[in-house]
Amino acid sequence: MTDLGYPVPQQRIGRPAAWWGMTILIASEATLFGVFIGTYYYLRFKTPSWPPDGIPDPKWVIPVILLACLVATSIPMRLASRAVAAGRLGATRLLIAAALVVQAGYFAYEVHDFLDQLHHVDITRDAYTSIYYTLLGADHAHVFLGVLFNVWLLAKLARGLTTYRLNATQAIAWYWHAVNVLTIVVFATLLSARI
Amino acid sequence: MAVVAPPRAVPEETLDRLERIWESRPGLLGWLTTTDHKRIGLLYFWTTLVLFAAGGIEALVMRTQLAEPNSHVVGPNTYDQLFSMHGITMIFFFIIPMTTGAFGNYLIPLMIGARDMAFPRMNALSYWIFLASALFIYTSLFMGTAPNAGWFDYVPLASKQFNPGRNIDFYCLGIIFNSISSTLTAGQFIVTIFKSRAPGMSLNRMPLFCFAFLAASFGLLFALPALSADTIFLFLDRNVGTHFFDVTHGGSALLWQHLFWIFGHPEVYILIVPAFGIATSIIPAFTQRKLVAFPLVAIAELLVVFIGFGVWAHHMYAVGMQTISLVFFAAATAMVVIPSTIQVFAWCMSLVTGTAIYKTPLLFIGGFIFMFVTGGLTGIMFVAIPFDQQVTDTYFIIAHFHYIIFGAAVFPIFGGMYYWFPKVTGKLYFELPGQISFWLIFVGTNLLFFPMHIVGLLGMTRRVYTYPSGLGWDAYNMAETIGGFVTLAGILLLLGNLAWSYLRAPAAGPDPWHGPTLEWTTTSPPPDYDYAVIPTVTSAYPNWEPAAAGLMLERDHEQVAVTPVDGRLSEIVRMPHESPWPPVLALGLALVFISLLIGRYGVAGIMGIACLLVLAAWHSQEPQEQ
Repeated sequence: MTDLGYPVPQQRIGRPAAWWGMTILIASEATLFGVFIGTYYYLRFKTPSWPPDGIPDPKWVIPVILLACLVATSIPMRLASRAVAAGRLGATRLLIAAALVVQAGYFAYEVHDFLDQLHHVDITRDAYTSIYYTLLGADHAHVFLGVLFNVWLLAKLARGLTTYRLNATQAIAWYWHAVNVLTIVVFATLLSARI
Repeated sequence: MAVVAPPRAVPEETLDRLERIWESRPGLLGWLTTTDHKRIGLLYFWTTLVLFAAGGIEALVMRTQLAEPNSHVVGPNTYDQLFSMHGITMIFFFIIPMTTGAFGNYLIPLMIGARDMAFPRMNALSYWIFLASALFIYTSLFMGTAPNAGWFDYVPLASKQFNPGRNIDFYCLGIIFNSISSTLTAGQFIVTIFKSRAPGMSLNRMPLFCFAFLAASFGLLFALPALSADTIFLFLDRNVGTHFFDVTHGGSALLWQHLFWIFGHPEVYILIVPAFGIATSIIPAFTQRKLVAFPLVAIAELLVVFIGFGVWAHHMYAVGMQTISLVFFAAATAMVVIPSTIQVFAWCMSLVTGTAIYKTPLLFIGGFIFMFVTGGLTGIMFVAIPFDQQVTDTYFIIAHFHYIIFGAAVFPIFGGMYYWFPKVTGKLYFELPGQISFWLIFVGTNLLFFPMHIVGLLGMTRRVYTYPSGLGWDAYNMAETIGGFVTLAGILLLLGNLAWSYLRAPAAGPDPWHGPTLEWTTTSPPPDYDYAVIPTVTSAYPNWEPAAAGLMLERDHEQVAVTPVDGRLSEIVRMPHESPWPPVLALGLALVFISLLIGRYGVAGIMGIACLLVLAAWHSQEPQEQ
């Protein structure tokens, strides 16, 4: 930073607006998911058999493996966040692109699987299917938003690095960490029907 | 670009330069693309005033209907839509946008010594979304299909089976649409208050007004998702065929109530806490003393909202919950008394120990304290569960919450309109008509709402569109209606006085009240850049302290950022300027909601993609953080 003639600290001592904005978004979305999950258990404890008779238990092997892959993308996102702070633009792009491939692959499979499940057991069947698909769909929507964020970020970073893009990279990495945690919680909730 | 020592001598050419950097475009385009928090505040003000008139007319039509028994001014269907729209309008489209949107937007940056909000374009977006959602939901009234199941819209009355028209779809989508705007506003205030304060304004030097808005913003941020989830479920139940609230398929009608009131009770505090903030601004100015127990009041403002999240089921005592739940929520409800009372005592002791001058703004605060205590006393009665069960859904409840919402939220709004009128317009107001307007409103509202306690205890239930004579309700109802029109006269006098003052009253100067907070240190009306010299703050009452050295930022469209707690200067931020995209994005979202309403989900998807493209275009211009 150049000397502006202000008594401004040379090192950053406050979070950038991008971090604050992302934190607010995450707080709001986490609350929304909290309400969804609360609803899930509220309905569950009013229903004698869960999932209701005739509906298979949610599958777990493939979803858990895919979930692990998705959660693992927190590592390249974290590394990208450090690389961008060090000004290593090439590494940043590469790490985000690597994360994006896994995230997009995850999303594509999950959409396919979601439609497939809907084909077998419709959302309109009962309260269980209502909350099951709503919760799962909401989670997928948040993964999709993250994919869009990363696509947008790569397009931005293709034209060089600015402070704005640095802050954006770190904020989006923060978003992904939050979405990954949310996804773990959502899957744990949905798979709890097997217990 | 210099540290400027007091007195704040700013050269003329620097002011000209700042004016060029910060001024908005002239004309209508300037208003459409503006990101100036003062202009956005004024847009909110005028829009909510129109909506206040709409909600008021709905109330007066209902009062006219109820003035006499067996009256048929409107039929039952219209009446259902009137009381639903009255509640929705006053809560979502008047008080919240008036306090957070108008007062908060205009005043918070001024009070913390900032030049704009932390996210100026998002601020514009929240206004345009608010406007679009208001137009969206009011379209329903003109189509004769307005929401008709009350503002809390209980299922199964609101389910497709019993309410097959578009009425409730308008409700669901309009509420979700409006929530987006409120969430943006809430986030905006939290970040602005934590990040954009003037250097030296550590949290313990921040005006109580800002604490109140911080509390309300946290409340909105964490309460609105419950409402959004609830309305999403209802929309899916009605239009996709899910069964969240359908007891025949494992759903639960009570789920609606729980989720609604998890939002709905914090909402009550979200409505009144900003009004507390207005009171804590007016009292020090008109008593010329610092507010008693500053830290306790700050904590109490936050605590009221926090406890407000744990009391929702006291709206549901009549639905048949377990005794243990009833007692828990009764205890939590009783606990709200503590932070509320701390504030009431602090206000009263400040009035008693200061030299109170009862000009119009302080009169409204006096009225507010009276109404708030009265409404609070009936509120405590609801802790007595058997009593609550007796008066549930009677006019006693209506009386209670109108004392709170009109008395404790709208009185300070009126007081604040008088108090900051000189700051916003640069003119004084006429004192005598101001005082008359207060007494008309005070007498009118008490005449309007007090007899409702009695008819409620006599058994008159809410939402009846008419009633037979001979039940002993007639005289009370007539008195209430007269009170309603007296209140109307008072409000018209208030607005007329302010309009006439704007045209004819003498200039106010920067500081007619010798107010304590920063906004009184700048000119009236404030310049586009708010402060030529960013002040350094040394106390919670900076205008009563000797001026300290400040920072002159005149290089670019810049503002300072500080650390969230200590208020240490952390960086100079270049802020985004005018943008055409916020109104365009709001329009795009409106098209999404219209498509959802008419069941064209494919079109809604395409519009959603269009909105994403708008967002990409929006972010093609990068405000630089350094």
